[in-house]
Amino acid sequence: MSDRFPETGGAGLGTVVPARDESVVDAERLPGEGRWDEMRRFAKTQPVGVASLLVIVAFVVLAVAAPLVAPFDPVAQDRTAFLVGPSGKHVLGTDDLGRDILSRIIHGSRISLYVGAATIAVSMVIGTLIGIGAGYIGGAADGVLQGIIDAVLSIPPLVLALFVAALLGPSIRNVILALSILEIPRFARIARGEMQRVRSEDFVDAAVALGASKVRVMLRHGLPNILPSLIIVASLGFGIVIVAEAALSFLGIGTPPPNPSWGLMLSQGTTYFQTAPWLVVFPGLAISLAVLAFNLFGDALRDFLDPKLVK
Amino acid sequence: MLQLIVKRLVYGFLILNIITVFLFVLIRLIPGDPVRVQLADAAVSQERIDELTAQLGLDRPLWAQLGSWYAGAVRGDFGESFSTGRPVASIIIERLPLTIELTVLAMAVAVTLGIVVGTVSAVRRNSWLDNVLRVGSVIGLSIPNFWLGLLLITFTSIVLRWVPPLSYQGPLENLGQNLAQMLLPAAALGVVLSASIARLTRSSMLEVLGSDFIRTLRAKGASETVVLFQHGLRNSLIPVLTYIGIQIGGLLGGTVILEQIFALPGLGRTVFEAVSSRDYPLLQVCVLLYGAIFIFVNIVVDVSYGWINPRMRRAD
Repeated sequence: MSDRFPETGGAGLGTVVPARDESVVDAERLPGEGRWDEMRRFAKTQPVGVASLLVIVAFVVLAVAAPLVAPFDPVAQDRTAFLVGPSGKHVLGTDDLGRDILSRIIHGSRISLYVGAATIAVSMVIGTLIGIGAGYIGGAADGVLQGIIDAVLSIPPLVLALFVAALLGPSIRNVILALSILEIPRFARIARGEMQRVRSEDFVDAAVALGASKVRVMLRHGLPNILPSLIIVASLGFGIVIVAEAALSFLGIGTPPPNPSWGLMLSQGTTYFQTAPWLVVFPGLAISLAVLAFNLFGDALRDFLDPKLVK
Repeated sequence: MLQLIVKRLVYGFLILNIITVFLFVLIRLIPGDPVRVQLADAAVSQERIDELTAQLGLDRPLWAQLGSWYAGAVRGDFGESFSTGRPVASIIIERLPLTIELTVLAMAVAVTLGIVVGTVSAVRRNSWLDNVLRVGSVIGLSIPNFWLGLLLITFTSIVLRWVPPLSYQGPLENLGQNLAQMLLPAAALGVVLSASIARLTRSSMLEVLGSDFIRTLRAKGASETVVLFQHGLRNSLIPVLTYIGIQIGGLLGGTVILEQIFALPGLGRTVFEAVSSRDYPLLQVCVLLYGAIFIFVNIVVDVSYGWINPRMRRAD
């Protein structure tokens, strides 16, 4: 139970990213390789990673440019077009209030990506700081933290999210808070394990011998070396958060209506699945495509950054 | 072996206590008085609010509330539900079996499908079949299980003209109807989980099949069946088992939403109702129980390593 981050992965499960090159700043690059060379190597060795990155970029563009791209206003109701199937005017059909599904999905990507990015950013910063501190300092504080992490991770993620979201009430900000409570231990656990590994490296001893402060050792020498693992957790975590947001909204405890959250759209589908199956199909496809892209990108990053897995 | 079990049980018990305190603190940290929220709609006097607050002990300090909760818990008294007034323990005893049945069925689907697909993939490595199964697995693990549940019921109702019976029947009352109701949600949960199990089984199996002892087995003339199943698969199962232990959390979370979609009155439905009505005494015990199930399953997983691999029976 030491390694929980490859939630979605098969290959590499149970392997902790091994000790890397000891140059501190450019930990994962090959000798003599610049940043551009590294990206070129990624493009060459990880075609699936590049393709999934393109899908992610496409979602980001759609989200940013939603008002320009979407053919209709996502919340505008059209009394003349209730539950119209996919057609020329409404490519993906309309819902029970005559709202255009395609436009709602495009605007929905804003919510999913915003919640995902905010949650990952908050939990990555907090979780990493906690994890690095515990991993470096060790002792009783580390023991207590370990217990708390195990406790939080023992509660099924959706149940905990429901619990917190229910205490806070439905709003996008509260969804981010609730999901951050789920994700912080995930980052803390990886950061802690990696920091324990880095702590025993020679370059850390050298830095300490040269008189570097604890904080400096943790942030200047520890952090860059554990960053690759954290980025992988972040990419895979993005997929988890998108599904969790959809699940909470589906249950009516996440993003409040009339916001076009993908999960909220699916919950409308439960009423009309026999007469209007497009309400069930398309928002789910959007969720799956986004999650697939983040999963594949995370997998590609792991294969790329983890030299032990190169075959 | 016994030592390992005891050690795990003690740590599991410790974790459960941390969860209890964690939930207790969380409920009371969050702004908004549960009593006021509970009575928000009705026009109630301040007296009535004070009375209820005192009755629930919410006016006492945190440690005192925690103490009396524990005092009740050791006697099996987990308090009363805010909304129905029934004892929390009896609600849970009534609702828990359904969720356990659903989880076990889903796990059975996931393990069977996942291990079969993963093994076929590994044995027929790089064939068209392997490629199809691998792409299928990658897609499968990106699909939310509640969406698959919705798709399944949409498909069966439109194409097959069949919907599961609505009024719930326990397995002892009417097994046929019970299984008909469980079929779709268990399939939705199981198929999604099977995707990652298949991926893991494949890579683990390939690793084992490439090892020296498999070559030795083949050299001494062991049949392919013996090589693949008695040695290959058995040795590949350890990481798969660990993964199943971790994934039980996702599966239990999934039951909350699938019980909702398929109108099944289980623990997941209870959590959802407790959340909607802010029924804190009920909610707290439900969340705790989910944690307990997770911990219990993982202890069983740890112990079963020894059953699969005798070398591990002596491990610490």
